[in-house]
Amino acid sequence: MTGSKHRTVGLPGLALATAFALVAAAGTAWGQANNAGESGNQVPPAELLSVTNNQGPTTAEHLKIGIWSKAGNVTTYTVGNSWNDWMLWLVFDKLREPSPYVGGGEEWLATSVTQISDDARTWEIKLRDGVKWHDGTDFTAEDVAFTFEYYREGPANRWTHHASAVPRIEGIEVLDPLTVRLTAEKPMPNFDRITAADLPIIQKAQWENVTEPRSFTDLGIGTGPYRIVDYKADEFYVFEANEDYWRGKPQVDKLTLVMIKDPQTMFTALKTGEIDGAARSLPPELVEEWSKDPDIEIAKAPSLWGSWLDINHSREPFDNRELRRAVSYAVNPEPMLERIMLGWGKSGVHGWPHVDSFWTRPNISAPYDPDKAAGILDAEGYVDANGDGFRENPDGTPLDWSIKVASNQPLFVRAAEMLTTQFEDIGIKTHIETIDPATFGGLWSSREFDLRVADITPHGIADQDMLIILYNGDVRRALKQEPEKDEIVLRWRDTETRQERLEVSYELQDYQNTYPVRVMLWYPDGIFAYRWKSYDDYESSSGYGIFHKYSFLPREVRGDTVDQLASTRQ
Amino acid sequence: MFTRIVGQYVIVLVTTLSINFALPRIAPGDPINYLVGEDTAASLTQAEQDRVLQEFGLDKPIPQQFVDYVTGIFRGDLGTSVLLGSPVWEVVFAALGWSLLLMSAALFLSAILGTVLGVLSAWKRGEQFDIGALATVLFLGSMPPFWVAMLLITLFAANLGWLPSFGAYELGTSPGSLAYLIGIGERMIMPVVALTLVQTANILLTARYSMSMALDQDYIVFARAKGVPERRVFFGHAFRNAVLPVYTNVMMGVGNLVGGALVIETVFAYPGLGSLIVEGVEARDYNLLQGIFLLTTLAVVLTNLIADLTYPFLDPRVRRTA
Repeated sequence: MTGSKHRTVGLPGLALATAFALVAAAGTAWGQANNAGESGNQVPPAELLSVTNNQGPTTAEHLKIGIWSKAGNVTTYTVGNSWNDWMLWLVFDKLREPSPYVGGGEEWLATSVTQISDDARTWEIKLRDGVKWHDGTDFTAEDVAFTFEYYREGPANRWTHHASAVPRIEGIEVLDPLTVRLTAEKPMPNFDRITAADLPIIQKAQWENVTEPRSFTDLGIGTGPYRIVDYKADEFYVFEANEDYWRGKPQVDKLTLVMIKDPQTMFTALKTGEIDGAARSLPPELVEEWSKDPDIEIAKAPSLWGSWLDINHSREPFDNRELRRAVSYAVNPEPMLERIMLGWGKSGVHGWPHVDSFWTRPNISAPYDPDKAAGILDAEGYVDANGDGFRENPDGTPLDWSIKVASNQPLFVRAAEMLTTQFEDIGIKTHIETIDPATFGGLWSSREFDLRVADITPHGIADQDMLIILYNGDVRRALKQEPEKDEIVLRWRDTETRQERLEVSYELQDYQNTYPVRVMLWYPDGIFAYRWKSYDDYESSSGYGIFHKYSFLPREVRGDTVDQLASTRQ
Repeated sequence: MFTRIVGQYVIVLVTTLSINFALPRIAPGDPINYLVGEDTAASLTQAEQDRVLQEFGLDKPIPQQFVDYVTGIFRGDLGTSVLLGSPVWEVVFAALGWSLLLMSAALFLSAILGTVLGVLSAWKRGEQFDIGALATVLFLGSMPPFWVAMLLITLFAANLGWLPSFGAYELGTSPGSLAYLIGIGERMIMPVVALTLVQTANILLTARYSMSMALDQDYIVFARAKGVPERRVFFGHAFRNAVLPVYTNVMMGVGNLVGGALVIETVFAYPGLGSLIVEGVEARDYNLLQGIFLLTTLAVVLTNLIADLTYPFLDPRVRRTA
């Protein structure tokens, strides 16, 4: 079976568009009622960028896709970041999908996720009947209950906070083989939107006796559309289609994901046809040239990533929130977007968190205003007393902040250079320090820096719970120094409805954009390239790009939230 | 002499074991960021972090970790890799084969190429060949290895399409099959060329200098005055005396090649020790790095030991001293 796609609209397309508009209008009315607690922000639609109208196959026997981050034996303990979590979702399912990064979503392993107490502390989950694990055993409520218990009591991973911290799940009851009831210590009005849409369900039989999950090397057993059949963690991962997948047999029979760490090598391999897709964003400078390549298709899909200037507010002088306000006013993200990203993305002037997230206050901003920055610095006592063109600290000592950058991030080095110039314009002296990536990564915990340029994943800037977790962790010390912010966070934890929580979240966003601990620089577009003659039925899902399990499922079962790229084909 | 040499190497080993243990831990950070992700790591308490590190024995006090490391060596247990979740020995030996393949081929080729070109350059000192060979090899050898690797990929993989750009073998082929072996051969060409270019310049310079020194000796003048044929002067008198420093340099080159492999293997996504070291450093995988450093130390020490022990066969003067 093969399918096709069309860029041109034409008369039939016009009719379809009209019908679509009517449906959309009706959907909006429904959505307003159903989407309480969301800001109404929507990610921009995905689009195809290649100059030719390519029409490739919608099925494939075998695809090779380049990846750049290891996933161990593909379990929740060996996948820990947004760089490769899509590999995990090939094998595992969640109660609701696709992710906390899209509004709505839909039931997946669950048939319903229902709030049953007014204070939003207790939720009941009804599970889908007939779902099988990859080893052929039945998926039951015991597995879901076990997942929450294991994540609450066991060693931490990227997902355990859902059961152990925000909030801690106190009661886990199996009511019948297909029903689980959860009770938390604090309200969780967005349990269905966030926890249920983020937490992978693991098999009790496989994990109940595992005490050292990161040394456990058995292949991960899931309920997802692909089963992992072979891997060498630093070389390749082989997945075969789960023919009995409850949602429908995948359109691609076999996936081999190949580890290629160097970006140039990965894109060369794509160009030569050694791989069929590259699961990392295409560098901006290649987009125009590659869009003319007759063998390559390029898709722009919302990635929900961000690049930011991290301010270390846990040390002087950045514990002074007025100083941080001045830093924010001094940063001009617009030229960075134009010169570094060549316009592929959105400017950080839109503020924090991600401008396209449906958790973000509409029209939020962090404006550039060097005059205001200079005024604040003057008022705080940062003046140029010795006439050398640079301000000194209020006590008269020389001021020279460092901006740390990872040595493997040339775009961030360029951003740091531009920041140095922008700070110089308001009389602030800074210098750049490039350090190895591992040391740089450790700065998040060690806090041994003044300023640093880094990127942040959708998990960090498009997931409302994670916004609070970030305030729990690295800023714990600083929270004590800023009671106003502390009070907002505590109030957020006690909110019992989606709307209340959203409104308190807005307060936190406003506070953060006024007295930032992180100044957003740009939000990059996710730009992904693949060989369309090998397979040409990819879809976009916010935060995941186009490489994810939904792209390999039959079109009719992918769900309503992952069809943006398909709409550009009609 | 044998006992003295072995004694020296024991001291070297003990010292390097301590350095191998300390080096990864001196670098800022720890494996927790890799294990749970940076953002999650920042939100954990110290107790929660220790619980994660406990699985790898990294929650213990540093002196206890050192004792575990040293006693583990004698038990054949180097711990578990944070990066791969498998025993370090297993991981290291899986990668070692691929690195040995690359490094031995590069060492062999650079030794032949560097020695031949160096010796001929000295023989034809000041002539066009000497200047040309010297300039070419020094130019190529001064290029950063990663850049050489990228140029090779761009030319032979992207533009000409003659060679595959990454990996050590064709994925999906059965080990031992012809396709598998051909895949290995095709994929080692560019990494070996890049490593050889890095190493050849060193050997050429040593060979040229040693040969030049030998050619200036009185016994060469005397041999020529006696009417010994030039071929015999070259091989029997000059080259034989010049070869010892070259031999030393070639054997010392193992250490250089390990350094070169860090970059070359990463660029070519070659699953050898070089790639493993880079990833181990990024993950702050102490156990893995200790294991690789131990193996590398042993390899360099062993190579030098072999060089020391085989000197007498190459140079009768060493034999007489012994």
